[in-house]
Amino acid sequence: MGSDDDLDSELALRTDRLGKRYGRGRAENWALRDCSFRLPRGRIAALVGPNGAGKSTLLHLAVGLLAPDAGTVRIFGATPFDNPSILADIGFVAQDTPLYADFTAAELVTMGGKLNRRWDGGLARMRLAQLGIPPDRQVGKLSGGQRAQVALALALAKRPRLLLLDEPVAGLDPLARREFLQALIGSVAETGTTVLLSSHLLADLERICDFLIVLNAGAVQLVGDVDDLVAEHRQLIGPRDAGGDIPGVAAVVRASHTDRQSTLLVRTDGPVTDPAWTVHDVSLEDLILGYLAETQPQGSHTAWGVTA
Amino acid sequence: MIWLAWRQFRKQALFTGIGLAVLAALMIPTGLSMHNSFDDLGLPECLRALGGNELVPASNESCSGAINQFNNEFRPVLLIAIPFIFLPLFVGLFWGAPLISRELEHGTHRLVWTQGVSRRHWALVKFTLIGSATLAVATGYGLGMSWWLGPVSQTGSSRFNPLGFDLQGVAPLGYTLFAVALGIFVGTIWQKVLPAMAVTLAGFVGLRIALTLLARPRYLPPATLTFPVQGDAPQNNPYSGDWVQAQEIRDASGNVVLDNAQAACPAGATSCGPGLSGGDYNWLLYQPADRFWLFQGIETSIYLALAAVLVFLAVRRIRRIS
Repeated sequence: MGSDDDLDSELALRTDRLGKRYGRGRAENWALRDCSFRLPRGRIAALVGPNGAGKSTLLHLAVGLLAPDAGTVRIFGATPFDNPSILADIGFVAQDTPLYADFTAAELVTMGGKLNRRWDGGLARMRLAQLGIPPDRQVGKLSGGQRAQVALALALAKRPRLLLLDEPVAGLDPLARREFLQALIGSVAETGTTVLLSSHLLADLERICDFLIVLNAGAVQLVGDVDDLVAEHRQLIGPRDAGGDIPGVAAVVRASHTDRQSTLLVRTDGPVTDPAWTVHDVSLEDLILGYLAETQPQGSHTAWGVTA
Repeated sequence: MIWLAWRQFRKQALFTGIGLAVLAALMIPTGLSMHNSFDDLGLPECLRALGGNELVPASNESCSGAINQFNNEFRPVLLIAIPFIFLPLFVGLFWGAPLISRELEHGTHRLVWTQGVSRRHWALVKFTLIGSATLAVATGYGLGMSWWLGPVSQTGSSRFNPLGFDLQGVAPLGYTLFAVALGIFVGTIWQKVLPAMAVTLAGFVGLRIALTLLARPRYLPPATLTFPVQGDAPQNNPYSGDWVQAQEIRDASGNVVLDNAQAACPAGATSCGPGLSGGDYNWLLYQPADRFWLFQGIETSIYLALAAVLVFLAVRRIRRIS
């Protein structure tokens, strides 16, 4: 337990066999199940997975909006549910960046000051001024990109140690997306804030994230430092039915075959020197897609009344 | 937190204030004119002389003329009191139902519940503000309508009548606070504004009708009153304000001669009416007028208790919403 505590102090977020059911009573309906990973401090982490993978559920558990049905989640060693004291350390931007549409941006900054003990209203105003966001217009009348910037400014004004962002750029055009991510990186670089950011947009994540969590169908598929992950995975192309173990390959993540050749995404534990295989480096995007494709979505043939 | 609660509530408060001012502008002149007319016709003295007893001397006709005159003049005016019966419902629909459901519909609960304030604290402040505003509105409504209806409830229309009982005294407090609490709770289950309002409407109207028809007549066992049909014996006082729940004419052995009727004829009359004979008597089942405040207290307590339960359940639900 002692070593765990020491570890916790280095971790921004830690989950142990974390699970959350949806609906009631039906044990098989897990939005998240047996989810265990550790996010060290100071990282910018991407949370990736298809729709319904449990990304929002995980973030809601982390910010204490939901109580776990199984396992634990800890933020800097504390359980977040029903624990307002930890809320001061977390900045959270929910999906679709909800804001009170009839409030002006200036009123929202005032609101933050009323609801938080630690609040840097000057920082929020400075950011919003730099972005050219009018202080006295209702935020419901701002563009999606501007609203997202207001939500980010509010989250940053808490001076959080952990920033959780649930698909903050999903609804934005490419330019607004780039501006948002630049603003995000610029501000967390100075403060050393840990960031956990869920998104579909793999190219964006590759630019800004140094840590990766891949979630699929409620389970963790891959966790780790981006550089390490990219370094230990390789794409191998070789003859079909080469068969047998390939030296240096720890596991085959994904294999696809044509009549004559096979393409493998593998995790390596040493150099692959077998001359039958051509070895290619993989990009983060290839890696993520490889892991997501590994588990096929469960068929719903019965539900549709057709045979598989 | 109070700043936020007020900032979110102030527009509704303003609209309600304007609405109430318009109603007051309608009610105050009509109320004054009723009170003046009531005094000018000499009704206070006349009714005081008559007393509040259930039975009065048969020869007493002194007040009827003036009362008829008063009723003829003001019966149409009473219609403007009818919309007031919906006021508690409107407060529940427009203040109570959106309070939580609007946050959930727009997802803003995820903004406000992840600031530095606990949900319990957030709920407490919001409920206190809206509860206080509701209390203020309902108190003004109950007191104002008690004054407005004062002359009406002494001139033959008992305060126990549906419009009389439900519009004055402390009962509006219970109705209004209950409506708001119902709206709040429903908003935690049906997490969109319009469905929450619809369910609040149905729930409030359903419960009000059920309790009014089924429970209220039975808060206390009714009293009975008997007096002869014929003779100079005292007659029932129509201005006592009693709540007559049943009336029959019975013969000397107790069998019902006429249902839902009351008769009086002078001692010398040879025939008193079809089927009536000398030994018949009137039989009344009634709640005495002096039980009015007791009944108001019982009814208000029921609604306040329901409101408290709903608020408690709402706080519990809020803890479980993500």
